[in-house]
Amino acid sequence: MFIDQLPQMFLTCLSLTMVLLILPIILSMVTKPLNNWPLYVKNSVKMSFFTSLIPSIIYLNTNMQSCVIYYRWMLVSPIEINISLQFDQYSMIFMSIALYVTWSILEFAMYYMHTDILINRFFKYLLTFLISMMILVTANNMFQLFIGWEGVGIMSFLLIGWWYGRTDANMAAMQAVIYNRVGDIGLMLAMAWLLINMNSWDIQQLFIMTKNMDTTIPAMGLLLAAMGKSAQFGLHPWLPAAMEGPTPVSALLHSSTMVVAGIFLLIRLHPFLENNNKVLTAALCLGAITTFFTAACALTQNDIKKIVAFSTSSQLGLMMVAIGLNQPQLAFMHICTHAFFKAMMFLCSGSIIHSLNDEQDIRKMGGIHKIMPMTSTCLMIGSLALMGTPFLAGFFSKDAIIEALNTSHLNAWALMLTLIATSFTAVYSLRIIYFVSMSTTRMLPLSPVNENNPLIINPIKRLAWGSIIAGFILYNFILPNKTQMMTMPMSLKLTALIVSLLGLIIAFELALLTNKQIKIHPTKILHNFSNMLGFYPHTMHRLMSKLPLMFGQINATQTTDQSWTEMMGPKGIANLQLTLAQKITHMQKGLIKTYLSITMLSLLVITAMIIYF
Amino acid sequence: IAAAYLTHQQKVLRLYKKSLRHLESWCIFRDKYRFYACLLRAQFDEHKDLKDMAKATMLLKAGEEEFWSSQHPQPYIFPDSPGGTSYERYECYKVPEWCLDLWHPTEKAMYPDYFAKREQWKKLRDQSWGREIKQLQEETPADGPKTESLPPARREGDLPPLWWQFVSRPRERPM
Repeated sequence: MFIDQLPQMFLTCLSLTMVLLILPIILSMVTKPLNNWPLYVKNSVKMSFFTSLIPSIIYLNTNMQSCVIYYRWMLVSPIEINISLQFDQYSMIFMSIALYVTWSILEFAMYYMHTDILINRFFKYLLTFLISMMILVTANNMFQLFIGWEGVGIMSFLLIGWWYGRTDANMAAMQAVIYNRVGDIGLMLAMAWLLINMNSWDIQQLFIMTKNMDTTIPAMGLLLAAMGKSAQFGLHPWLPAAMEGPTPVSALLHSSTMVVAGIFLLIRLHPFLENNNKVLTAALCLGAITTFFTAACALTQNDIKKIVAFSTSSQLGLMMVAIGLNQPQLAFMHICTHAFFKAMMFLCSGSIIHSLNDEQDIRKMGGIHKIMPMTSTCLMIGSLALMGTPFLAGFFSKDAIIEALNTSHLNAWALMLTLIATSFTAVYSLRIIYFVSMSTTRMLPLSPVNENNPLIINPIKRLAWGSIIAGFILYNFILPNKTQMMTMPMSLKLTALIVSLLGLIIAFELALLTNKQIKIHPTKILHNFSNMLGFYPHTMHRLMSKLPLMFGQINATQTTDQSWTEMMGPKGIANLQLTLAQKITHMQKGLIKTYLSITMLSLLVITAMIIYF
Repeated sequence: IAAAYLTHQQKVLRLYKKSLRHLESWCIFRDKYRFYACLLRAQFDEHKDLKDMAKATMLLKAGEEEFWSSQHPQPYIFPDSPGGTSYERYECYKVPEWCLDLWHPTEKAMYPDYFAKREQWKKLRDQSWGREIKQLQEETPADGPKTESLPPARREGDLPPLWWQFVSRPRERPM
């Protein structure tokens, strides 16, 4: 009965999803603010989520995808730029998941920011961010993608620097913008190359035209863009610094949606990378280094939000590894499952932080599981899902990536790094659980501990359901584009599990050692290296500022005046003359030895010339 | 009273307090911390009756160096302290009181009692300003003030100098 109306339903629901998101923004600009504007925004996103479920289910059932051109924006022939939205596998599933996660986070933000004077503005910013993310994800041409890309970057800046009275928050926002800008250079390089060589920015056309071409340059550009946006090693310091923003911002932007935009770009434009081994290897190595380094940094952090931020960075490295293995679908699945449990971990952290009166240091938390049972349970579920516990959400994606890693032809070094990083994941997850919810209480006695608020409980419960069943659902309903390696030795199949268990056991031992406190502090070198983030931010921030300034100073003061007007002109010639004159005067000092040696040398040269010529 | 130079006692006590705080950052569990804190106290108490200032200064220097080598890279800082996570967080919401003068008369008419009282307080401020400045000029030494603390009101019927800035400071947590 509905079959012949499915396409109409599909497109209508998708259009309605977008309109429901844009409506509050337009309303805020046109009329006076409503009584309970945050509730209205949350309800809009909730309705948008339910509306987006219909096309997702239609897609999962009938594999219906669509590409809609809404409006021809520019036509500088032959380049045509339209407002066109592509609803394929990646964008539709990601849309539903992003809307689900955003709904939960907005509901949580109603509790977290309820004492904030400018809560309406906060919700408006979050909604603008969500719209930019939707534009990015559904973009069918590079220009629209770039609009979404820049949009999420700007909203990230505004939201990280929400409390702009704080110096650290402003520094963090600047870091985010500058590191993202360096990545944008790559994106612009790719866009320029595509425009010049393909005369088009339309993604479908580009895939057809670049089928057998050497796409190293745009692929490298896209890799740089992903490096900047997804905090890969080299452009990663902005992500832990971005924890200066309020917890809902960290949960939405810097764990589930914005930071995966870089990986999403690589997934969407995967045909450029498919046949290019150089770029794939680069992505693999970059991902391996990122996941190892950031997991190592997370081992000694003491701020709960920073540990979760490094955990995000490590998982992003794992997604990059999946892309380097030529398995974009596994990376996409990891994006989807990761969104659930990471957002939930951030919401749990936010609940704990507010309950302990803005205390973020795990050294002053403890025994939370007795006083905040729901929050600590969900934190545990999130950590287990993160570690890849069998049959929770993270297992399906993470285990698949590690299996693909084990059964591919690649360098053993990348493999080792990723496996060690997987065990580190278990270690720092246990670190959070041990210091926050287990062991003795170290918090202040009169803390306003209260999690008995539906605005906290409902979002966390929803995301907990997602963390448990989302992996299973996605795994069952989405067929992989590339056939996975099905047969492998038992040891390879169980590698991820063994490595995580090993990490867990080591972490338990370490926790026991910490409890005994045999010596005051651990090995300084390793601990300090990990705690200070490898000294990377400290060296790079100062070096990158100092080098151009020194270069500029030398250029401005010395190069023009000294080099060109002095050295190239009078002084240079004078120096040359002086040297020559000195040498000749040396020779004519009246020393017989000098005369004799010159005579012998000249005789030798003349004899050699006579003999050989 | 606070002065320009620190006494030896102040320096030792500052070293003791910051070593205790860094020890707390290293030894997370309270019972283990108490054990090591007692050891640290014993280290300080060993030389507490030393009368020779030269030796005491050398010991202090050695102590500072030991502190520097064994400090925690991320010491625990209270959230509202400088360097903490919620320090200066609400600065952006703190509005200075002179903005109240820029309100529109219709807005001011919504709170007539408050603004009437505010006019009286402003008159009082204008009257006592001259006397506050005179008191500060008399009490400040010739080469500049030695401390940041302000003196109290000395004469009968006077208000403490710069009282208006203190009284009209914004709330700690703006509503």
